[in-house]
Amino acid sequence: MDAILAFLTVFTQPELLLLVGLGTFAGVYIGAIPGLSVTMAVSILISFTFSWDVYPAISLMIGIYMGGVYGGSRTAILLNIPGAPSAIATALDGYPMAQRGEAGTAIGVTTVMSFIGGFIGIAVLAVAAPFVSEFALKFQPRDYMLLAVLGILLVGSLSSGSLVKGIFAGALGIAIGAVGRDPLTFTERFTFDLQIMQGGISFIAVMIGMFGVSEALMQLHHVEKDAVRQKITRIVPSLATVRKHLPLSLQTSTIGVIIGALPGTGGDIAALMAYDHAKRVTKKPEVPFGKGAMEGLVAPETANNAAVGGAFIPMMTLGIPGDAVTAIMIGALFIHGLNPGPMLMIDKPDMFWFIVGALVMANFFMLFFGLTGIKLFTKIVEMPRSVLIPLIMLLSIVGAYAVNNSISDVYWMLGFGFFGYFMRHYGYPLGPVILGVILSRLLDDNWRRAIISEREDLGRFFYGIVTSPLSLVLFIAVILIFVSQTPLWRRGKEKLFGTQVEEARQ
Amino acid sequence: MSKIETEHHDGTSDATPGGYEGQRRPGELVFGAAMLLGSLGLLWNAYGISGFDALSAPGTVPMATTSVMVISAAIVFLRDMRLPRVSGETVLKDILPGVVVLVALLLIAYGFLLQPLGFLPTSALFLVTAIKLLGGRNWTWTIAVSFVSLLIIWIVFRIVFTVLMPAGIVPEAEMVQVLRNLFSGAK
Repeated sequence: MDAILAFLTVFTQPELLLLVGLGTFAGVYIGAIPGLSVTMAVSILISFTFSWDVYPAISLMIGIYMGGVYGGSRTAILLNIPGAPSAIATALDGYPMAQRGEAGTAIGVTTVMSFIGGFIGIAVLAVAAPFVSEFALKFQPRDYMLLAVLGILLVGSLSSGSLVKGIFAGALGIAIGAVGRDPLTFTERFTFDLQIMQGGISFIAVMIGMFGVSEALMQLHHVEKDAVRQKITRIVPSLATVRKHLPLSLQTSTIGVIIGALPGTGGDIAALMAYDHAKRVTKKPEVPFGKGAMEGLVAPETANNAAVGGAFIPMMTLGIPGDAVTAIMIGALFIHGLNPGPMLMIDKPDMFWFIVGALVMANFFMLFFGLTGIKLFTKIVEMPRSVLIPLIMLLSIVGAYAVNNSISDVYWMLGFGFFGYFMRHYGYPLGPVILGVILSRLLDDNWRRAIISEREDLGRFFYGIVTSPLSLVLFIAVILIFVSQTPLWRRGKEKLFGTQVEEARQ
Repeated sequence: MSKIETEHHDGTSDATPGGYEGQRRPGELVFGAAMLLGSLGLLWNAYGISGFDALSAPGTVPMATTSVMVISAAIVFLRDMRLPRVSGETVLKDILPGVVVLVALLLIAYGFLLQPLGFLPTSALFLVTAIKLLGGRNWTWTIAVSFVSLLIIWIVFRIVFTVLMPAGIVPEAEMVQVLRNLFSGAK
């Protein structure tokens, strides 16, 4: 009963309803404008909303998240520029459709499919999370530690071509998170005897720098690119179209939820995998993939929205983010005095059900805003980058300053912005850095708890891992990810399958 | 997984970050060397926290992570040394074009001026300079756009989000009070 009441909170309070709506609306446009990303928007927003109550703050951020994941598809279809990483796969078939003059149909199908995907993701979240959190109570400190390592490795290996760079980025993040006084012994770590380092580095400054300023600097390479105008006619898709693609959308939604729920992986990877899946299962598409196949739109769009619900599962139950945005959400909950993890689900179940309710609401708003307001949309997206880029930078500075009213946070933010700019150029993924910063504390605490309970004995520690099924599974997963990226594995695979491939070729 | 076309994307996504597989971009070797040296410095610093005191000591995880950084940075560096350079790219054209350097300098100047000058004048200067630099339109347009956007940002963040930025030389508190009086007077 309490759960239902908490679930309905957002529907019964006009203020919260308005904030979710506003957030979704803003999210659709932020997601759609190339150069503005949801991660960027949510990280900047945390700093502005931290003086608010937790419900309104979360409502706004959930709206932006949901809307933003969808919004990226708009520009992917119209301009062949994915507005957000999760819309990269959408551009592959969406843009060819727009070129054929079917931009309206493409946007309509995308909207409805995002809605369906989003719904499935939320439903799975509502059903699965309570079970997972109950299960999570049995987690030992070492399991948390392994899970954190797994998350950082996963985002590193799936998100970039080079696992080594991903690992480097993740380790860097953990080190950044360790700066300051150690909370257990009060020893100084990485402070270089500087006053400014004693309190640690604000993770919001790192986040805004890496996702806000570095992205804005990157956009400077494309200032001159102009937006292309497209004529859009009918948007709302026919029922027959929706029904025809329903089976595929259910499959790809499942992929989306699972990928989203894996710690460290989010909508972008889910969309790419779903696209790949659609390509394999659709035997006879009406139009070939890459030339404007409807299936090529359905798959990534259902998957990336389903991943939203999925990403909340590890975040709410384990305190481990499902992707970069939920990593930031965890930060938001921390700031509001909540501690995501299994205890949150038990102590404050209403918080969980409130979030589920807000997600449902945001999903409806997304459907509504997705099918309306195309004219306004084309106007906003045509905003020149020469104005947009300085504004993003200004907002980043205000955001970094606002959290602690401290100018040193602005310097940190700018420093990480410049650093992130080079990392982007040289192919180092930024996601693992943020995940590392957020998980640093969890990893450090749980490692020390685990090793102390094993009386500082590494042998006993490993014995503990091998004898607990859960720890063993996590440990094997970590090892597998690691080994699968090394030349050793590739050579082994060639030895095993290489000869067969040769035969097949002949 | 099929190869994804990234030509039309800005290379800003985490799914497809910049950089090339099998080739080395200009400056990549220097960056790799800096990462390796920086990691070594951090490892030395981490060793200084508590040495090999105990497995649960505060320095253990920092030492482990910085060791991972050193090893991975070394692998990246050694691999980069053997890779051929991307042909046709230069640092000045593709990595650090003049406009990026200029905007970065503007940002640093902003950071230094923010406290003494205050939020409003610094931001106005920044926006006008940056928009003029990037847009290349006439002064009227540039100044109008800058001021309108600054006004919107100020109203949204100062009034709605109640974010306090350094006031500097502008009597901001008095301005807000005047605004408040104006609205409460209307009641």
